Amino acid sequence: MIEVLWHGRGGQGAFTAARLLGAAAALAPGTHALAFPSFGPERRGAPMRAFTKLSDAPVGDRSAINQADFVVYLDQTLFAQGWERELKPGGRALVNTTHSFDDPRILSLDASGLSLEVLGRDIPNTVFLGALAVLCEGLQPDQAKEAVRQYMAPKLHDANLRIIDRVVAQLVQGEAAAPATGAAPAEVGKASNCEAGTPAAGLEALDQPQPPANRRIPTLRTPPADHAVYARNTCWDAGHLVTKNAGWRTQCPVIDPAACTGCLKCYMDCPDGTIYKVKAATSVTPTGGGEAAGVEKSTPNAGTPIAIDYDFCKGCGMCVRACRFGALSMIPEGGQA
Amino acid sequence: MAITAKTISDNELFFGHKACAGCGGSLAVRHALKVFGENTVCALPAGCMSAVGFVFPQLCFANNAMITPFAATASVLSGIRAGLKVQGLDPAEYPVVGFAGDGGTADIGIQALSGAIDRNDDIIYVCYDNEAYMNTGVQKSSLTPFGAKTTTTPSGKNVHGCLTQKKNMFEIVAAHGISYAATASVGYLPDFLKKLEKAANVRGTRYLHVLAPCPTGWGYPVDETADIAKEVVDCGLWYLAEYENGQFRLTRNPAEFTSVEHYLRRQARFRGVDEADVAAIVAGRDAKWERMRAEWGN
Repeated sequence: MIEVLWHGRGGQGAFTAARLLGAAAALAPGTHALAFPSFGPERRGAPMRAFTKLSDAPVGDRSAINQADFVVYLDQTLFAQGWERELKPGGRALVNTTHSFDDPRILSLDASGLSLEVLGRDIPNTVFLGALAVLCEGLQPDQAKEAVRQYMAPKLHDANLRIIDRVVAQLVQGEAAAPATGAAPAEVGKASNCEAGTPAAGLEALDQPQPPANRRIPTLRTPPADHAVYARNTCWDAGHLVTKNAGWRTQCPVIDPAACTGCLKCYMDCPDGTIYKVKAATSVTPTGGGEAAGVEKSTPNAGTPIAIDYDFCKGCGMCVRACRFGALSMIPEGGQA
Repeated sequence: MAITAKTISDNELFFGHKACAGCGGSLAVRHALKVFGENTVCALPAGCMSAVGFVFPQLCFANNAMITPFAATASVLSGIRAGLKVQGLDPAEYPVVGFAGDGGTADIGIQALSGAIDRNDDIIYVCYDNEAYMNTGVQKSSLTPFGAKTTTTPSGKNVHGCLTQKKNMFEIVAAHGISYAATASVGYLPDFLKKLEKAANVRGTRYLHVLAPCPTGWGYPVDETADIAKEVVDCGLWYLAEYENGQFRLTRNPAEFTSVEHYLRRQARFRGVDEADVAAIVAGRDAKWERMRAEWGN
């Protein structure tokens, strides 16, 4: 049995690709396939997983895959420490990135670049469908293309078939990825331009869980919450959203202190309340839970009236749109500015 | 003193939630709680805000909050209010607030809401209206507008999305003779804040209906939520109004409307509407505004 584990974000088409791969394999007589997704928070942009199992016998085991022959990362921010634990011996990780790695187990593909070029949108799923059609034993690229024809909407056929052709040609010629500096996965995460909130850092924090110092569950009779320590106290304890970054963001906003007038329009429009006012004299320094968990909020630049809590920002960009002074812009998460 | 960006509380009482990026509903809840304050006791039925706010063991509300049965938002609010009264807590200092979606308000929770208004219980009911059951994957509610595609009102060659008109929830509530009711939009936050503040200071049942666009269900880029919420008011398909002391009042009466077609075309959910549908929507808008302007003055 060949098992494929897909890591993606809601909206990237990981489950579609998982299904197409299964459909492609099942085109061959006597081959059986199973594909299913596992959504955590069922929201666009949230990390999710999908699974494909290919076998020459009916697939009875319908449980999630913990170790796979191929582990696909549709988003490089999801590729972080511990990745090798999900590989079977001899297994390979396929990563959507422009970096390359000094590790034969990792195959880098600039899938976003290819899908932007061909589709005009960053939906990298069929790039990996094409790649797996080359890498999976017993699977032919033509089968992947037939699966696209049978299971995708007709208007999507042309571009996705071209994507498969391109990636197949690229892999067959052995040009896996444009060479860049060799980097370990953790370093990829740390390459973020955002000062806080990389997935790798989030994993580090997870490795050493420490309860916040000033835990406080507000009730009717507790004294007023202290804004400086508030977020840590109420939100730190659990769940995926409370770890740094939460893995939701592919882009993050940055403030240009020179252009910011302090009009607070971005502060008002943020659905997540992650833009906070910086008081001139007492600039907000997180204490308690934040320090206990070994992380810091973004350090506000001196004089900027606002700052962004990258731990909880989802990168929706409403603040950038709200700003009439061009003081906010979005930069890629974990990439070069 | 009017609450503005400068004077609004820094306290983020709804924080760390799991709503989609660019969620209009969470923006409405965030500001409502900033105005009502941390002594607020919230009740939320099934819906996006309860799904994204209560993720065991995490609670994204810093104030007291609970989930109600779907149909029971207003009844639970009445019960909480009665409980606080027994504890001797002043309703002016301890607001009891419900946040329900359009389905939880106009479909499933409407009889409980009607009963609470009838008793004039001292509660605030906020309907964040994203115009369909978004939490379950976009099904039509009675507040889904004509022409909108949902999974239960698909759009095709013969039928172009939702066939029914948006239920007039604001006037239904006002017809009870409620203490205070208002409509708002997250695209006009100063107006919304003013109404929240007013609602906080009125006694009896108060109802706020705030339009809260949903990028996932409506089909537009996540950064355009505030823009869409503003445009729906500017083009006249939503209106900002109040009902107080038995009188309706428009709080915004645009001299000229922007293009309805532009508003519709930027959203994937209206992709199926044709010229005739747009003309019908515009005609419906004009008739409604003519009546509102004639009867509501201002």
